[in-house]
Amino acid sequence: MAIKVLAFAGSPRRHGNSETLLDWVLDAMEKEPDVTLEKVVIVDADVNPCRGCNACEKLNMCIQRDGMDILHDKIIDADVIVLSSPIYCMGICSQVKALIDRFQVFRSRKYVLKLPVVPPERRGKRFGIFLSTAGQNWDHVFDAAVPSVKCFFHVIDVKDRDIRYLMVNGVDEKGAIQNHPTARTDAERLAREVITDIRARLAA
Amino acid sequence: MTIRVLGISGSPHRHGNTETLLDAFLDGAERAGGSVEKVILKDLDYLPCRGCNACHKDGQCILKDDAPPLFDQVLAVNCLAVSSPIYSMGITAELKGLIDRAQYLWARKFILKNLYFTDEHIKQHKGIFISTAGLSWDNVFDAAFPAITAFFNTMGFEYYDNIIANDMDRYQGIRGHPTALADAQAKGQEVIRVVEDLTVKAAQK
Repeated sequence: MAIKVLAFAGSPRRHGNSETLLDWVLDAMEKEPDVTLEKVVIVDADVNPCRGCNACEKLNMCIQRDGMDILHDKIIDADVIVLSSPIYCMGICSQVKALIDRFQVFRSRKYVLKLPVVPPERRGKRFGIFLSTAGQNWDHVFDAAVPSVKCFFHVIDVKDRDIRYLMVNGVDEKGAIQNHPTARTDAERLAREVITDIRARLAA
Repeated sequence: MTIRVLGISGSPHRHGNTETLLDAFLDGAERAGGSVEKVILKDLDYLPCRGCNACHKDGQCILKDDAPPLFDQVLAVNCLAVSSPIYSMGITAELKGLIDRAQYLWARKFILKNLYFTDEHIKQHKGIFISTAGLSWDNVFDAAFPAITAFFNTMGFEYYDNIIANDMDRYQGIRGHPTALADAQAKGQEVIRVVEDLTVKAAQK
């Protein structure tokens, strides 16, 4: 059975450090058997910010018609969802925040309407990966990103224990990650581990 | 001298809990003699930062829209109140989009070194973060603070205080909260007095 991976490249800067980290993960996943990949570049995906209207709490859908109409089913269908974002001003970039906030429709479905987000037989069989890069080399530079990322995954039924993180600090200029001593091997190892884990989970 | 106060509303939702709390703060500031302005981000036309780093070379943003004039307005006031509801444990994309656009001022401070705020300037300029959250969790605002801290630092404001109220779902909105609106109004009056004292002292030196 094919493993479906849906990846979001969140940076407005194409082919920069966080997208390179994502590409390393995806290239390693592609080498594994029976993996289908789709990469979505958020800045090209026409995702508007959430309007905070709360209509989804009643309608079970968003009132906005944009790129989320296409992404909605892909998000539900994927076995592994990968999100990448650079750190801007101590947080995820606003383009990624807009996508996360649009997951409000899943939150309403899950917690307000108490409807399933994925079919019951697929619950507990989804993995999430958060990839991030930051120019600053402070240890705490990713701290404010993680709570929003957890929201992103929790509302689409990726359990907390099934979220993996690879966050690389101290890479600022475009291409800086190429010179990082471990980022590439860490990304490739993470990719293989997650594919192994999801394969076992789906077979169970 | 009149103390100038700018309130920035980062909510996409007009006259909701966060904007109402901001209004209470601005009302207090106005009653204390401040000159008050309010900007609604959702009505402005600005793009998020593209991360192109062009500003690292010349200190200018290549995007010509409503964001740079708003930053000019911020730099001209004594007190800045930045407000956002908490969505998914963070500030809204609208406010984060604005904050990220201040990168050209960050570049002027730290790369080009042609923008500098004295300690006295920073002390006299007060930044206040105003927020509400539906959830009751004590930590619901924690992930919002670092970006706000970065913004106040970049703009030359001392992070004076937070006016935050969680558990909005239980109170059924800010008007159901026992103390938040009165506290916000009192804080608006307080900050005008504090800035006035500092400004007068500085003038007497």
